[in-house]
Amino acid sequence: MAVRTAAIPQELIYRAAYEANRLAATTVPRDGLVAFQRAAQRESKPLARFVLRKIVDNANLAVAENRPMCADTGLPRYYVKVGNEAAIEGGFVALERTLRQAVADLTHDIQLRANRVHPLTRHNPGNNVGIFAPNVDYSFEPDGDWIDIIVVHKGGLFGTDYRMLFPADGVTGIKRFLLDNLAEFARRGLSCPPVIIGVGLGGTKDQCVRLSKEAACLRSIGDRHPDPLVADLEVELNDLANRTGFGVMGVGGDTTSYDVHIEIAYAHTGGLPTAVSQLCHAYRRAVGRVHPDGRVEYRDDPQWFTPYYRRVGIE
Amino acid sequence: MEQPETQFREWHLGTPLSDEDIAQVRAGDIVYLSGPVFTARDGVYEHMLVRGNEPPIDLRSLTNVSLQSSPAGVEVSPGVYKVSSLQATAGFRYARYMPPLLERYGVKAVVGKGGMSEDVYRDIFKPHGAICLSTMGYGLGAIYGKAVERVLGVYWLKELGISEALWVMQMKEFGPLLAEGDVQGHGFFTQVNEEINVQLSLAYAGLRPPVFRRLGEEQRPEQELF
Ligand code: SF4
Repeated sequence: MAVRTAAIPQELIYRAAYEANRLAATTVPRDGLVAFQRAAQRESKPLARFVLRKIVDNANLAVAENRPMCADTGLPRYYVKVGNEAAIEGGFVALERTLRQAVADLTHDIQLRANRVHPLTRHNPGNNVGIFAPNVDYSFEPDGDWIDIIVVHKGGLFGTDYRMLFPADGVTGIKRFLLDNLAEFARRGLSCPPVIIGVGLGGTKDQCVRLSKEAACLRSIGDRHPDPLVADLEVELNDLANRTGFGVMGVGGDTTSYDVHIEIAYAHTGGLPTAVSQLCHAYRRAVGRVHPDGRVEYRDDPQWFTPYYRRVGIE
Repeated sequence: MEQPETQFREWHLGTPLSDEDIAQVRAGDIVYLSGPVFTARDGVYEHMLVRGNEPPIDLRSLTNVSLQSSPAGVEVSPGVYKVSSLQATAGFRYARYMPPLLERYGVKAVVGKGGMSEDVYRDIFKPHGAICLSTMGYGLGAIYGKAVERVLGVYWLKELGISEALWVMQMKEFGPLLAEGDVQGHGFFTQVNEEINVQLSLAYAGLRPPVFRRLGEEQRPEQELF
């Protein structure tokens, strides 16, 4: 008989969720800081260079003084990866309650702006908790007895779009759709470029949009898709995005995109669903792995797209 | 090749802004503001400009700078507020509130995000001798937040809630702000977009439109969408 792993207590999950939210709000993942600095060094246009340097200063100030890097603290949301052997005290109902409580408490304690409102009445509950808020998305991993709590404070009213393209449109169509998206949202800096661009290709419409958002939010800058075909397209699309010349904040410059991440899902034989999501340069994410023995490890890399998550066959 | 460090001018101005100060600022300059400012976005615009409610304080004598923003701020003790981070929101959607704001409240500088169209500057801002400034690098919230020296008051909390309320704040070196629209009616983004569009059309070269169009599709990506 298999030995059942000890259940992970809710109190520990709460501590991890709270801390991950705090880290997400006030620190920038290392890959972001490196990318910000590199963009500032490389920039050839004086105004764009001036602004890019200010972004680096701002990120440092946010960390040093515990200030949100942008006053729009975005929409806090969770991605939870659950090891297949993990046991959770009180089950998933208790887990979701804890995650919601942590967002409510954090909104109050560290000055997250209360951004979530009822879509029609515009009533603001004041704690970023409401119907389907915060989002909680799950994925699973074989063997692990831990759970990963990934927190993203996603900014931006601008930058996400979906289109049903067709096989006849091919890579040309994908490129054009990406340019359309930047022409719509990077102009005047509405989506706050430089951005990290996530592209979803294939799947059903909802999968496609979801994958584009996960690709933007849950991969490190510079990380490449394991499939060389996809990886090459990532590099090509990033070059293309930067050739538009919108630059930081749309003032005209060399870096519009820090990176492009593509995720694919098998599609209907007649279609090429394509979605683009932009993650603004308020790059806010943190990850805590909660172990049944009481340890919580925080890290920058979400490790969301595991080989298992992207599996091809039945297993 | 050594690039010159700056090719734009910087202004450090006190609020309320004088007409002389405003007249010097040209689209594309960088501006820092010190002195009082007040916030107004959807909630305040509707409450004050459309429904005609007078604010509980005399804005006209206090300042002529309005900020399209809801600060990340909290009440640290009763009536005492602290702002940790500050940012403006996209201004193009507020163009219709500009005439009453400038006329009735004598506002001379509106600070938003991304500016408005040149028509608005020419037809509304220019006749009032007003300018439009834009927050920069949009995620400069911590830097802007640090520029809040003191929250002088938060009004219409009950009516509008904390994020839409009218905040009056004393600023110190609030910047860098981009001069988007100047008193001559020129818009920085309109100018820079002409250059960007040349590059953009090269990026589009050889990419044919999708086989299946969308109804009402804007077929010219070089166009502004508002
Ligand atoms: S899109 Fe811009 S304004 Fe919104 S959270 Fe991101 S950096 Fe801030």
